[in-house]
Formats: sequence, structure tokens, C-alpha cells
Amino acid sequence: MKKLAIKITGESGSGLLSTGEILLKAFKCIGYFIHAERDYPSLIKGGSSVFHINVSTERIHCLNKKADIIVALDRMGIVEYADTLKDGGILIHGQERQNSIKDILKGLEERNVKIIYIPARTIAYEKQAGEIMVNMVLLGLLWRILDLNLQILKFEVAKKFETKDKSIDANINCIQAGYDATDISKLTKLAFDIPSDKEDDILIDGNTAIALGAINCGVRAYYAYPMSPSSSILSYLAKKADDTKMIVKQAEDEITAVQMALGSMHMGTRAMTATSGGGFDLMTESISLAGMIETPLVVVIAQRPGPATGLPTWTAQSDLNMAIFSSHGEFPKIVIALSDPVSCYSLIPQAFNLAEEFQVPVLVLSEKTISEALETVPRFKDNTIGINRGLVSTKEDLKNLDSNLRYKFSESGISKRWLPGSSTITYFANGDEHNEDGTITETSKGTRRMAEKRLRKMREISRNIPGPRLYGPDTAEFSFIGFGSTKNVMLDAIVKFKEQNISVNYLHYDFVWPLRTDRVRMLFKTNKNVFLVEGNSLGQLGNLIEYKARVKFHGRLLKYDGRPFYIEDIEAFITRKIEESNTAQNG
Amino acid sequence: MDNNKICHKLDTDELSKKFDKFLEYETPQKMTWCGGCGNYGILNALEYSFVLENIQPNQVLMCFDVGCNGNASDKIRCNTLHGLHGRVISLASGAALANTHMKVVATAGDGATFSEGINHLVHAIRNDYPITFIHHDNQNYGLTTGQASATTKKGFPMNASPDGVLGDPINPVDLVLSLNPSFVARTFSGDIEHMTSTFREALNHKGFSFVEVLQACPTYNKATPQEWYYDRIKYIENLKGYDNTDIWQARKIAADLEKDIYLGVIYKNKNSVDFMSRIESRKTVKTTLVEEVMIYHLDKFLDELS
Repeated sequence: MKKLAIKITGESGSGLLSTGEILLKAFKCIGYFIHAERDYPSLIKGGSSVFHINVSTERIHCLNKKADIIVALDRMGIVEYADTLKDGGILIHGQERQNSIKDILKGLEERNVKIIYIPARTIAYEKQAGEIMVNMVLLGLLWRILDLNLQILKFEVAKKFETKDKSIDANINCIQAGYDATDISKLTKLAFDIPSDKEDDILIDGNTAIALGAINCGVRAYYAYPMSPSSSILSYLAKKADDTKMIVKQAEDEITAVQMALGSMHMGTRAMTATSGGGFDLMTESISLAGMIETPLVVVIAQRPGPATGLPTWTAQSDLNMAIFSSHGEFPKIVIALSDPVSCYSLIPQAFNLAEEFQVPVLVLSEKTISEALETVPRFKDNTIGINRGLVSTKEDLKNLDSNLRYKFSESGISKRWLPGSSTITYFANGDEHNEDGTITETSKGTRRMAEKRLRKMREISRNIPGPRLYGPDTAEFSFIGFGSTKNVMLDAIVKFKEQNISVNYLHYDFVWPLRTDRVRMLFKTNKNVFLVEGNSLGQLGNLIEYKARVKFHGRLLKYDGRPFYIEDIEAFITRKIEESNTAQNG
Repeated sequence: MDNNKICHKLDTDELSKKFDKFLEYETPQKMTWCGGCGNYGILNALEYSFVLENIQPNQVLMCFDVGCNGNASDKIRCNTLHGLHGRVISLASGAALANTHMKVVATAGDGATFSEGINHLVHAIRNDYPITFIHHDNQNYGLTTGQASATTKKGFPMNASPDGVLGDPINPVDLVLSLNPSFVARTFSGDIEHMTSTFREALNHKGFSFVEVLQACPTYNKATPQEWYYDRIKYIENLKGYDNTDIWQARKIAADLEKDIYLGVIYKNKNSVDFMSRIESRKTVKTTLVEEVMIYHLDKFLDELS
């Protein structure tokens, strides 16, 4: 088999995270492609948690809902997740007291699940290791079942615990003991393929890729207030600040974070902030200020389900409307939606270029499933788009300035921008409505003309941002349109359905606002079944597309339960559509 | 002893010599404040300070909050940035960190500083961000026509508090002194000489300098008009043996806002280290953030992910 969906399950704090991390490293070392993500509750210890690890000999982009193998580290890991095991799958566990779970185990047996039990706790104690190392014993057993090279796993364990050298031996002994614990010759062989080549890949999550994109394109200050699922951008950049010399500051709140970023951008460096929906609510007034004074600004919004605190550690695409329509007053802005680590890395530099060239706020949407999911992707190269700052910068040009040029009523709406201190000519950057030189005005004509000048930039931006991109064939039996992480599941669905001779294509928006719809109308003309796929309950992008492109989707696949789209969600939707059309034909 | 003799004379000769420099700061914009407003004097003193300190208009970024004082955002010819209500300290701090060669000055009223954005003040002091902050304390919300602020005297009837203000007032200098600040001064909008010398000292301070300006508001603040202050203000220079590096002496004289109201650089922290100097990784860096926008290679970080 080419692809395997493994879940490590248990109580939060049961060693699930380190087990998963070691496993990922070992798979990567062999050369597998990986897509992995941890589902966990918003608490420190005690809730149920699962580390999804999908591995394949071919590139994969999303998760399976159902697992081939579950490694349950404790009772909770069985009780909470047994249902998510495929019929005929494998459950690995070490629960000695099975009375309380006998109904569950019986149910699994009825679904032909192979249950492999070893007394992991006793084994761990025998190896002079504590109960905390049950995870290593079970990991050893998993590795045996997968029939993979034990040295690789041991190497990764040693690397993981190298700073705690006393525990290395105990961990490795537990791995070995788990590997040798039972006679598995009676089990059917899994026949899990070994990758033939090894790519020059990195294993990375979206937030790290966002951080690297920022470092690469010259972001020199990062201000943020911790908020899931954006927080790891802050911690990663802080950890790397010794190398990057970037100023990384945890601010007292989101308003401060965005104000400091705006101040730094105004003075002329590149600065960034990130938050989630609730934190962005606090930032919206500042976005409006950036729009008014035409100072570039880039804000990353890592979405999670709302309203209010909502589900802090789960995923959503429900803040698209919030981003597009955020802030009071009318002014141009750009909204970009990330989808995977590659896009995180390449779109952050684009966000900065666009913000500076058009002197507008750029809002970059991520999602928990993008920010935190780990994926193997080709090693990043320096971004080739370069740094475009849209600034007056040559000595000669800086001499020939005039304050009136700063907000000049130009044809494109874009006026000359230069940094404070870079010229002897100064200007007023005024949050009050202003004239071309920034002096305050309340006249009818001045107000109207400056509003029109700002909004002319929107037309210019529309012409300059890329439209949506089509994946799959030009025409297909089933077409989908979406943004953000839905790209990942659709890429895998296109491949999967092609194997079944069903054609699927998917039109994906990286640049969501201003919304370009020319490609949408073409898609509707050449494809008979165009559906919306979106991670929210209203179909926010779909509504905008229908309104602006004057089209009507043939159906909507919406998901708003905090979980990302799994490949099974797309399969079920298409299967249902096929059945519906068969019924219609037969009826 | 006359403990109220004026002890800050404006160097008018020097100013006359640099009159053309002073004019550079002037704009043709029509002033929009009431007659007798303290803002005129504050703006003048600020321009004098820049001129006497030989600071060019393009080397200054003046950041304004929203309120009466914020309407000066096009009335002083230098780089100005007029932000949101209550947020100017954070905006100015972000700007200052990006280019430490620039003089960044932020001004805000008592509404912005002690109601809408009091958190920013507290944390800017903790972090000693390199800006000069001028607090226009006219003890009311002037631009919205005379509502109470956090520094309005208790019991006085104001717009929206017709039966008198219920809350106790904050003493700004006292509060700031409780936060281990690096530079704290108090001055008065009716004393241009004193304001000028105070602003000059604040501009030369490396970290966060907090300057409280007790400001007359002839239109809405009937509780503490100009004359009320003239009767009460004293100068620390006339206070025998006053040591402005001693926080306890500072806190003692700052407490009184009724009888003897002391003006001057009330406190200077000998041990303060400004924000930029606290960042270990930047101690060897000679450039400013503004000069550092370029492509950075990631090999080291990518190797860790391989």
C-alpha cells in the first residue's frame, strides 16, 4: 500500500506530542511524504488528543478522517477514537484493565479490526522506565508492524532526547522492548511500500513557513500578542532572533501589536503582526488608519472557529467576511488566503510587496489547519519576486519632492511615498481627512476627491493581482471553487477520482480580495457541475462570487465543525451527487 | 525665602539668531483652538526646543493622538503622524524602534492617556521605548465639548456629569512614578520658558521621557483655570536639597496637586536602560531597522527542518 493514515491517541499530556514528532522524523528520514496535524483541546492536561500522521510514497496534501492504524497511549485514546478506525484496521494498545472497554473492543472485532495488545506499562517498568514511556514501547511495536528499519527510529529517539542524556537509554530500551514484545508473524503483512527516492524535502508547518517568508523578505520587527493558532509564529521568530537580529516583541495587547507594526512600517522598515479572529477584531481600527494614511501594513489572521472564544485550538475559514469588510470607512485593502506551507512562504513576501506598492493594508488569512499542520514540501529557495517597496529612493528624486506629492490625486490613485527623514521635504500623515499635502480638510470637494483617489487604487490592484488558479482539467464532471486549506483536500481528491475515471477540477483563490471573477464565469461556461467548497456555514466566498460574477453554484459543500476537510468529505459529496443524478435519470 | 522665583529663562538671543530655523517649523494653517488655550504655548515651546537643540524638521517625527492637541498635526512643519485615539504611544514607539536616528515625539491628552489607552502608557514605561511623550493635561475632553476625564477633579459638574464627577482623579505623575520610569517631568502651559527647558531635557533623554503639561482650558475647565495654577505652582530648583534621582523624594512632592504643585524634571532614573539597549542580539548591530530591509538567506533554518 502507498498511503497509511496513523493516529496516535490519548489524553493531552500523555507523551503524544513527542511520540508523534519522533515518528514524523523517522518517516521523513526514510523518505516518505507526510501530512500531519494534531487535534487537541484548549487546556493543558486531561482532554483527549490525537496526532494524525498520514504518510505516503507519493506527495499528499490532506488528512484522512479514518485511520488504518491507531496507537492508543491510554484508555481515553481507545474510548474517544475507536470509531475513527477503518474496518479491518489495526488498534495498538497497552490497556491491561480491559473490562471497562470490552464493548468497544468487541465492536472493533466485529469490524474486523486487528487488536494488538501488549502489557506496555509492565514492559516499561521492567526497563526501569516510568509509565511515561508506555508511548515508546507502543512506538516500538508500531515500527515492528510497519516492518521498518529500527535503527532509524532509535536514531530519532536519541536525537529527540539528546539534551536529557539520562533518559536516552531508557527510551531506546523501551522502543526495543516494544519491537520485540510480541510475535507478529501471525498478523497479515501490511505491505507498506518503501519510497524509492528521497527528495530534498523539509518538514514544516504553516506558521514556521510564514515566519521564514517574513525573514526572507526583510521583515525586521515582529510584534504580537499570543493567540492560538497564530502563537507559534511569535515563538519561532523569538527563538531565531539571535540569528536574524529581528526585533521580536510580545506586546501588551493586539492593539499595541498592530500600532507598533504600523509605526515601524511608517518609519520605513518592514514589520509584521499576527493574531486570530478575536485579536483582529481589536486591530480593525488600526487597519482603517493604515488605509487613511496610506501606510503599508501586513497582518496575518490565523482563523479558528468563533464567535467569541469559540474553539481556540480548532480550524475554520469563517473570518473571510471579517477580513474583507473589516474596519470603518471606505478604503482599499487586499486579502490573501494561504493554503499550505509553500504558499505561506511565497505569499508573505508578495503581501509585503503589494502593501508597499499600493500603500494599503494587506490581510493574510491562515487557518489552524494550515498554521499547525506539518507537511513535507520541497526545500524552500529564496523568493524570486524580490523586494518592491514602491518608495522614492534615489538621491536625485528625494531632492525633487514636494509635500503635495505625498497624497497627490494621481490617475492610479497611488502617490509618491518616501520615508520620514529620507528627504528634507516632510509631509503630514493625517488620520483626519486631508488634502494632497496631508493638511486637514473638511471641504466637500476635498473630501470627495481624496476618497476617490484612495478607491482608485482598488481598480489598479485588481489589474495587478493574479486571478484564481485552476487545478485539474479545464473541463470536468465535478468542479469546485474555494480558498485556503480546501486546496489541499481538492488536490488529493483530483488524483483519487482520476484513478476512478471521474474527472474533478478545482478553482483556487490565493488572492481573495479584490475578488476577480472573470475566470469564474469561464469555469461556469465550460463546466456543468460547479460546486462551492468552504469551511464555514454561510458560504462566504461563494456568496461574494455569486453576487459579483452573477452565477449560481450547483451545490455547496460547507463544513463548520472545527475540523478541516478530510478526503472522505469530498468523496461522500461526489458520491452523493452521482447517486442524485442517477436517481434523476432513472426516475 | 521666595521659593517661587522663575528659574528658567528662555535664551532669546540664541532664538533670535535661529529665527529662520524657527520659521521652518511654521505652517500657514489656521489655528483652530480657543483663545487662551494652553496648546498655543505648548506648540511654541516645542518648536523652540527643536530649534535650540538644532533638530531639523525632517529629523523629527511628531505623533499626535486624537483630541484638541491632535489638531496640531498640520500646524508644525515636520514629519507628522496623526493616529487613533488613545494609541499614539504604541504607534510612536513602533516608529522609534524602526529608526533610532529620528527624534520621535508623541503627544496626547488626558482622555487618551489615562482612559482610552492607559495600558500603552504603563507598558511603554516598563519597556523604556525611546520616545518623548508629552501629556496635555487639561483635565477634560475638550474636543468633545467638556466631558470629564480621569484627571478631572471629583465633584465638579461637567458635560455628561451634571451632578459632579463621581470618580476620584488620577495624579498622572504619581502614577507614572509608581512604574519605575526613566524620566518624569511636570511643567505648565502658562510658562513657556519652563516648558522649553523641560522639553529640551526630555528630548535629550535616551529612553521614555514622560512630560506632564498642566494645561489651561479656558472654555471647559472652570475648576482649574490659568490663575488657579499661578497661585500654586512651585519649581523644584527652589526646593532646598531636592535630589531628582531619588524616587521617594519625587513621589513625595508629586503627590500634592492642591497646594504646592511642583514643576521640573522631577525624576531621572540613574539605572535606566532604554529598550534598544536591552536587546542582546542587537548590541553589535550598527544599522537601524529601516536600513535592513533586504533578502535574508534561510539555509541555517532550513537545515533544521531537513
